[in-house]
Amino acid sequence: MSKQINIVDLLESAIRAESLRQKAISNNIANIETPNYRRINVKFEKLLAKAMESPGSVDIKALEPETYQPKNTPVKPNGNDVNFESEIGHMIKNNLRHEAYVRLLSKKYRQIELAINLK
Amino acid sequence: MAVNNIFGPIDIATSGLRAHNKHMEVISSNIANARTTDAGKGQPYRRLEATFKTEDDELSGVSLDKILPDKSEFIRILDEGHPDADSEGYVLMPNVDIPKELINLNIATRAYQANAAILKRYQKMVETTLELLR
Repeated sequence: MSKQINIVDLLESAIRAESLRQKAISNNIANIETPNYRRINVKFEKLLAKAMESPGSVDIKALEPETYQPKNTPVKPNGNDVNFESEIGHMIKNNLRHEAYVRLLSKKYRQIELAINLK
Repeated sequence: MAVNNIFGPIDIATSGLRAHNKHMEVISSNIANARTTDAGKGQPYRRLEATFKTEDDELSGVSLDKILPDKSEFIRILDEGHPDADSEGYVLMPNVDIPKELINLNIATRAYQANAAILKRYQKMVETTLELLR
């Protein structure tokens, strides 16, 4: 099922989601010793998939990433479930995704620029 | 955890970091309690051994399976003045062997470093791929 979507809007909202996820990871690391703190994650890919599957046109711009607490990681004795190594892994993945999206976006802009400059 | 995406090696290296970090915790406990003669129940501290596991037939990373007590004999030493000494003056000491623990500590440190190196190297690799998008 193919849908007409604006690639710039799509990349923009993906970058927004990655920024929010970076914030969530920073928050998790900052609270690594806070008793009873549960780690925060960002839900975006699932929301996007759902929006793509639903009938009718998709408003990618209106798609907002959400934060949630997965509560599926082992809890330490002080009720905290943040693992430093896991957060680092998430951060690296997040950075790489962010880099890929930004590069795609700049490539897209260059294409548009090229089209404008054709005489 | 099925690994079929570009971030597979990152997840595996992260699982290695977590497992070896936990192993380090077990070793610290053993070293800290090397002379603990009373660990409750009138017995000295029993050395703990960490075991690793992986899901077989799958690239799934590693996890620390169980932390089990070492069943070897306690060391019996003569120390008549010790409060925990028996009627003959012998004290049961934990079955912790410090040199052995230090070797394990070295192994855990190197394993942790190796996983961190994988993480770093793979990040570089993906960045190389992303260079093509310039």
